[in-house]
Amino acid sequence: MNNNNINPLKNTSSEQTNPIHFSAQGIMKKFGGIDALNDVNFELRRGEVMGLVGDNGAGKTTLMKAISGAQLCDSGAFFIDGKEVKINSPHDASRKGIQIVYQDLALCENLDVTANLFLGNEIRYLDNLKIIPRALRPLNHLSMEEQTKAALRKLKVHTITSMRTKIAFLSGGQRQSIAIARATKSDSSIVLLDEPTAALGVSQTKEVLQLVKRLRETNHAVVLISHNLNNIFEVCDRITVMRQGENIGVFDTKNTTPDQIVSSITRGE
Amino acid sequence: MLKNIQEKIGYLRETQLGSFIPVLLALIVIWIYFGIKEPVFLSPRNFYFLFMQSAVVGTLAVGVTLVLLMGDIDLSIATVAGVCAAIVAVLSTKMGVSAPIACLAGLGAGAVLGGIMGTIIAYFRIPSFVVTLAGLLGFQGLMMKILGIHGAINVRDPFIRGLTTTTLPDSIGLILAAIGIIIFGLAIWNNRRARNAKNLDNDLLYLSIIKFIFFSTLVITATLILNAYRGVPLTIIILLSLTGFLGWLTTSTSYGRAMFAVGGNLESARRVGISIEYMRISAFALVGFMAAVGGIIGASRYASVSFNAFAGGPLLLEAIGAAVIGGTSLFGGRGSVWNAILGALVIGSLGNGLDLAGARAADKLMFSGAILLIAVTLDAVTRGGASRK
Ligand SMILES: Nc1ncnc2c1ncn2[C@@H]1O[C@H](COP(=O)(O)OP(=O)(O)OP(=O)(O)O)[C@@H](O)[C@H]1O
Ligand SMILES: [Mg+2]
Repeated sequence: MNNNNINPLKNTSSEQTNPIHFSAQGIMKKFGGIDALNDVNFELRRGEVMGLVGDNGAGKTTLMKAISGAQLCDSGAFFIDGKEVKINSPHDASRKGIQIVYQDLALCENLDVTANLFLGNEIRYLDNLKIIPRALRPLNHLSMEEQTKAALRKLKVHTITSMRTKIAFLSGGQRQSIAIARATKSDSSIVLLDEPTAALGVSQTKEVLQLVKRLRETNHAVVLISHNLNNIFEVCDRITVMRQGENIGVFDTKNTTPDQIVSSITRGE
Repeated sequence: MLKNIQEKIGYLRETQLGSFIPVLLALIVIWIYFGIKEPVFLSPRNFYFLFMQSAVVGTLAVGVTLVLLMGDIDLSIATVAGVCAAIVAVLSTKMGVSAPIACLAGLGAGAVLGGIMGTIIAYFRIPSFVVTLAGLLGFQGLMMKILGIHGAINVRDPFIRGLTTTTLPDSIGLILAAIGIIIFGLAIWNNRRARNAKNLDNDLLYLSIIKFIFFSTLVITATLILNAYRGVPLTIIILLSLTGFLGWLTTSTSYGRAMFAVGGNLESARRVGISIEYMRISAFALVGFMAAVGGIIGASRYASVSFNAFAGGPLLLEAIGAAVIGGTSLFGGRGSVWNAILGALVIGSLGNGLDLAGARAADKLMFSGAILLIAVTLDAVTRGGASRK
């Protein structure tokens, strides 16, 4: 039904795109005297990658934290498919399909791929036997492993062959893939990626960008934060520029040049 | 080059079988060495006493592994064992409480003491090292108070004594061994089949076979040797059952996963919604419980509860040493309760062999220190290898 957004060559003029899936309106956040977010409006569509750029301290991470419930904003409202939703905790956010991949990954290096994908949300036997405390019900290792394999296959991650490999033995790009797989495993519709390529080399960056494109194909609304405009231009459909806590403007990648974005980031034009 | 080797060892240690190998090799080397030097060492009788001597250390080591997995430590295990043993002794010999109930009270006391320390660690965010050190001191005092002026209470109750003097008839020992082997074999076979059916990667077949043969040989040999003297001691069955339960808990439940997650990356554990407080409190309570088990076994074995047998001696360091020698990391996030038992056997064998060889206490201490140092170094080196990549 949504063939038109799977086509990466689609024309970005508005009549062909999906309706707004998520929007944040009038978001305010102060840290002491600093306006980290000042009346920010922000919107996302499914099947679209939204780039989020801005200088250090522009408020990108703060905005992501507000959307993912990790840090509450002072005021403002969130809407999903036009209906207002309250996001007061990470739990709230993930229940509404919002997932965030943190700058610092947050994987457990001592656990294997499967264990990380299902951490805190394991598949268990006897789950309808309420007398046994949840934490003591036996794990269904094989189901989890199977689903992990499927999740990675869906994202076209082929470099990880055994789901029983400890994270400690994986490369940065592979770790990033697993963090993203964890975020998109459940019924998520919105994925927030905070500088997923910051610590990666050329080929691994490419791997991750490939993954971002996959998320668009699977009809997610994706936010990609990066300081690398090449990466942004490679995968994003639209770009939101932030400066000193304000949303300077939203640009269609097709009709913009990197120079325009740079001047917007630095001078707010 | 060096880094490469480090990485290889690190990788090996991450696998289930691989984590067994270093401690097992150590054990075999020690047995061969003393077997040649003091042939008595390898006699069934000596093996029997070796197992029994290692039982208390082993119980405490298995317990303390639980908090080591989470990156914490419990320095109070030996004194908690002492307090609980004293409680059991006083209740059963002085106050006329029936022995089983006295034991239950002791076990409960252990869990409560551990739980209290865990609560303080969890809610006041004080390092476990400090809280349990305070526990160590405080419980030493408490133990003295309970034991009274004589500093020792004799335990002659047949139930309590029976915990370490009872041995299973030869046939029952063999049947239990056979059941254990069959369950182990079926588990491996079933797992292989299920993995194949689901198209998941399997271990190489010959590795599974080696694992099975290895396990069966170990169990049968141990049973036969013990049968050649008095039979399999009840104590060993108790210890193996508890370890089996804790092994299952740590590797096959969400609770165990959470333990490893807390030890591996606390922040990550918090973000996925694991309650760090709940984990700490419950884990320390479990350690307290295991300490109490160790205390009761000790009381039964020595037929008395004295300050020196628990709080004053090397029990604490031997137990933590056993866990670390078994390959459990002091940095958290890696280890196994089963390996703690092997570690306890290493320490027990060393002490036993040196005793037979007529070594003095000074030599024994230095040997134990060296082994522990090697284990800790291996731990640090392989950790570096794994995380630097
Ligand atoms: N927890 C906090 N306490 C106080 N100030 C904060 C906090 N978090 C962020 N800030 C401030 O809010 C502003 C926005 O920070 P934010 O981390 O959102 O920037 P960013 O755009 O993500 O920058 P970068 O590109 O460096 O990651 C900065 O001035 C920062 O110092
Ligand atoms: Mg940031």
